[in-house]
Amino acid sequence: MGAYEARWTERRPDEDYDRVLNPDGTLLGKRPDRSDEELCAWYRAMAGSRLFDTLTLRMQRRGELSVTGNSLGEEAIGVGAAAALQPGDWCFPSYRQMSALLYWEFPVDGMVAALMGSPPEHIAAHLPFAGRTPPVHVVPYTVFLGASIPHAAGCAIADGLNRRRTITLAFVGEGATSEGDFYEGANFAGVFNAPLVIIIQNNQWCISVPANRQTAARTFADKALAVGFRQARVDGNDVFAVYEATRDAVEHARAGRGPTLIEAVTYRVADHNTSDSASIYRGEEEVAYWKSRDPVDRMARYLQRTGLLDEGERCRMLEADEQDMRAAIQRAREVPPPPAPLMFDHHLLGEPSWGIRRQQVELAAELEGRNPFLSGDDGDA
Amino acid sequence: MNSVAQPSVTEDMNLVTAVNRALRGEMARDERVRMLGYDIGPIGGVFRATEGLYREFGPDRVLESPLSENGLIGTAVGLAIRGERPVVEIQFLGFIYNAWGQFVYSLANLHQKSGGRFKVPVTVRTPFGGGIRPIPFHSESTESYLIHTPGVRVVCPSTPTEAKGLLAAAIRCDDPVIFLEHSKLYRAYREPVPVADYELPLDQCRLVQQGNDLTVLAWGAMVHTAVKAAALVDASIEIIDLRALAPLDVPAILQSVRKTGRCVVVHEARRTLGLGAELASLIAEHAFEWLRAPVRRVTGYDVFFPEYTLEDYYLPSVTRLRQALESVLEYQQ
Repeated sequence: MGAYEARWTERRPDEDYDRVLNPDGTLLGKRPDRSDEELCAWYRAMAGSRLFDTLTLRMQRRGELSVTGNSLGEEAIGVGAAAALQPGDWCFPSYRQMSALLYWEFPVDGMVAALMGSPPEHIAAHLPFAGRTPPVHVVPYTVFLGASIPHAAGCAIADGLNRRRTITLAFVGEGATSEGDFYEGANFAGVFNAPLVIIIQNNQWCISVPANRQTAARTFADKALAVGFRQARVDGNDVFAVYEATRDAVEHARAGRGPTLIEAVTYRVADHNTSDSASIYRGEEEVAYWKSRDPVDRMARYLQRTGLLDEGERCRMLEADEQDMRAAIQRAREVPPPPAPLMFDHHLLGEPSWGIRRQQVELAAELEGRNPFLSGDDGDA
Repeated sequence: MNSVAQPSVTEDMNLVTAVNRALRGEMARDERVRMLGYDIGPIGGVFRATEGLYREFGPDRVLESPLSENGLIGTAVGLAIRGERPVVEIQFLGFIYNAWGQFVYSLANLHQKSGGRFKVPVTVRTPFGGGIRPIPFHSESTESYLIHTPGVRVVCPSTPTEAKGLLAAAIRCDDPVIFLEHSKLYRAYREPVPVADYELPLDQCRLVQQGNDLTVLAWGAMVHTAVKAAALVDASIEIIDLRALAPLDVPAILQSVRKTGRCVVVHEARRTLGLGAELASLIAEHAFEWLRAPVRRVTGYDVFFPEYTLEDYYLPSVTRLRQALESVLEYQQ
């Protein structure tokens, strides 16, 4: 193993990050000051995320959807952070924070329909938002990773300029911190002292590129130094540690004292997505080590050890959630395919331009089996 | 096509002053309008387009930013998500390439990708074009890069009066608008500009002069080159200032070419896949039967904008355009 490799894998025994809950479910620090029901809800969101990944992976294998990425082994981060926000706050997730969305009770049917290739307006038309309005404003993730960080900065700057007390939380993977967007967005937030919290979900693999190829910095949290943020570094498989660090950062931001960068160290137990084969580039023993530090099991052990959720209750709860999730997936399956002309919508406001109208006419002719080049319109408006 | 009705109260001003007046008017009119850029504060922009705004509206309205075009466009999109109406200054069009990611992924795409949930009322002002003899990448006319991206409007004024009304409309528009200000026109001349508030349409050509023998399509500084060249040929030349580069006002363009049967497109941009290529294609597809000569393009060459010592040989001159007009007028089948 070369020198550069040794520096940046978190298999090292000296885990130099904050931890509240040990892997065996015993407390190292103080239990978060939240109700028993709330802690059970955190577990439920984490377990729900894992179930969502299992069920959608099966759908992908059956050819029902194109590609999915999952959050296996990373479930503590989304919900731990989400639980620290207040109604009216804003969130810019990446794509491994399913536990946050489930915690906020985002409708599963809509999320599955999106995975099945339906655009948002089509989903809205066929799956009316049945549940309660999510308490937090969530901006759909940018496929180009890191691109949401300047948006989160602008969003937070808007709150600062208008003296509002809402704050913005953004998630980014460790790979995307190498993009200019990450630095540029963070730098703007720093300069404008924006009420922003950025969580780097360091799962140590960016498809096949290990963390040590993303940076020569000592830690990803150290990237805070260049932009004048406060920083924290936590065990990302410990939902209590993620919560406490985020809560502290959120309070700091809400008080107008500026942004914080949190690195949550975790591990991508699964393949990057359904098109990936991680066994090509990493060893089984590494994966096994991290599986032994599983965040969902850790929380289950804590809840069982403290008597907050006994095995029978836990099984009944998960069984009921599975029924609900399967029903939601079925509703998503019943959404018809989006109509082809939908692709023209929502580019510019107002009447479509001459060029777009003509192309709409061509597509309509093609859909009706006519020759689109004999559509009769020869350039008159 | 649209002509400006001339209200009685006017003030003589050049194009950069007209831009400044439009910005000031919009900031006074709507507190959600915020300037965002570097060097736009106390100094008032390197061309002084934002002069006086920082003093009048303060640092929360004129946001002096770090040096980062990608950060500017991305942050502006974030502000727009929260209902602000940012006006970004990119110091020169040649600096926008650093912002390519945020331009394509966010500015242009967010409205569509979100199924219409988010509007992106961001105006990006940027000087462009050659003729002021600066260093490299300060004379770019690479509007084709912008036009090829759906989801944004691209607008280019050619006179002070146009600049004031088009910029007001751009800032009030809920679509992202790239507003191209020709740097050579900033202080080229003054004209009477209405003092009162007015908007000009963002999707219509302007008829500069009527003619029957040949249509010249131009925008920015080339509109003025076209007027001079047209005066030198013995024919009736119609000149259309496109104003709206994306989306194009195709019906007006076709109507003119069908009338004259001849067309010359003149632009500073490189020829290959310059907007002239699209215009010539549209005319070939939809006005073929009316044409009496092939469409001719008078353009910059397919090279990087040269050192300023050579820029006069790169930019379409009055002479080059006159010769093109003559060749098309003399064309025999």
